[in-house]
Amino acid sequence: MVHETLAATNAVVTLDVALPDIFWGWFVTMNMWAKSIGTGLIFMLFLLLRKNSSEMSGLRTPTIIVSFIMMNVFLLFTLADLHQPFRMWHIFFYPHWTSAITVGAWMATVFVGLEFVMMAMMIRKDKCLLTSNAIASFDKLLLWVTLLAIPVTLYTAGIMAESTARELWQMPTESVQMILAATLSGSAAIILLGGSKLSEESQRFFGVILGLSALMAFIIYMSEYIFGAMKSEEVAVILGYVKGNGEYATMFWIGQWVAYILPMVLVALSRTSGSASILKLAAILAIVGLWIVKHVWLVIPQLLPLS
Amino acid sequence: MQLGFLVDLHLCMGCKGCEIACKVENEVPLSTWRLRVKYVDVGTFPETKRTFTPLRCNHCENAPCERICPVSALHYIDNGIVNIDKERCIGCAGCVMACPYGAIYIDPETQTADKCTYCAHRIASSMMPACVVACPVEANIFGDLEDPKSNISKYMQQHTDVQVRKPEKGTNPHHFYVGASQVHLNPLASKREEGYNLFNKITTLPLGGHH
Repeated sequence: MVHETLAATNAVVTLDVALPDIFWGWFVTMNMWAKSIGTGLIFMLFLLLRKNSSEMSGLRTPTIIVSFIMMNVFLLFTLADLHQPFRMWHIFFYPHWTSAITVGAWMATVFVGLEFVMMAMMIRKDKCLLTSNAIASFDKLLLWVTLLAIPVTLYTAGIMAESTARELWQMPTESVQMILAATLSGSAAIILLGGSKLSEESQRFFGVILGLSALMAFIIYMSEYIFGAMKSEEVAVILGYVKGNGEYATMFWIGQWVAYILPMVLVALSRTSGSASILKLAAILAIVGLWIVKHVWLVIPQLLPLS
Repeated sequence: MQLGFLVDLHLCMGCKGCEIACKVENEVPLSTWRLRVKYVDVGTFPETKRTFTPLRCNHCENAPCERICPVSALHYIDNGIVNIDKERCIGCAGCVMACPYGAIYIDPETQTADKCTYCAHRIASSMMPACVVACPVEANIFGDLEDPKSNISKYMQQHTDVQVRKPEKGTNPHHFYVGASQVHLNPLASKREEGYNLFNKITTLPLGGHH
């Protein structure tokens, strides 16, 4: 029970320093959002390779390029968010391995490096010095890049778990949400990128991934929304910012509708009507909505006074 | 040696001498504080009283800021102090996110993390922290927690109501309070009304970040 609710106590802060403003703002949201698309596309490309490799022919190059661009957007915003961006090299020369930030920075760097190699293979496949069969090498490398994409996706959840002051961010939940964000945005991005290059069957397949990712992520958010307040008073106060007249309540629900509820409905509609356009609309909404959802969840724990 | 702090809240009278001494000693810029004294008014008029709580880094034995720092800018020194190397800090604000006590801030002049260091530079010269020296009622008791004959150890032996902030976090703070209530230690135990400061209406400070 929050003490100040007791009339007998009626405790009021009468002199304190101002609370620090939000430190991790939309730059970090961009970081998480872009990384979800970057690694999600790799997951989807790998699934396509395993499911129907004949459809890979026109998708290897655009997918790896878009993933590479999104990973660079992620790195750019990570760098821009630092208060001392020119000291970024310290992470590589003075690494502290208990920090998920360090581990993530190293893995993301290797991941982007491998993506660069894959991209170079496809762009210069006729002149490629690495192998005479660039496509076979690309597909072999894709397996290892997909495996690396898993921890690259998850490490941000590690950072959130290590942010022990922010009770809302709990590791098992956040790691699942990170993976679901990647499968949601990855499937949405490949639906948009693939277009007519994807068979109807593959479009339906990625539509199912999109719909199920949206459903599972929505269930987790709603579980937290309904039951989270029972865990601790900190979580109860934080969730108050997205409930009732809370500061971020409108934004929270816009995010839930745009990222999850509408895409779920549209995926179902596209399956019954066989409309590719409806599926694409679902994909666009999911990508846009994910940014809003991530932003709200990032900001609200930072509104809580800690001392 | 494991250095620690104890504040006897029965003695503290909220003079803010420690706050000023810290500011001067460590050249803490405007709008930021390594140490501050929070005032909370309790009760309903005419049955009211004012409480004072000095708040600073807890120098935790299991410090989340040290764990999350990607470049070891936050690090332990042999005497248990969690120190900061501002030349190494990259300003990622991970420590700000990790500290459950809100004791770390980004220095607006250097754009690096900063916090109370128990005046590590003074201790290296066998001097007491500036706040201890400034306190007119000796409410700040500082010393070696591993030495049973130190002032802080004796004080803890003599008092039964020794508490730390947020023990459930498992951080094992090296900063203790005597005579504390929920109102002193729990930030959610008191209301923060709009413009809660006595001297101004500022409730948030733009200290970096993008939102």
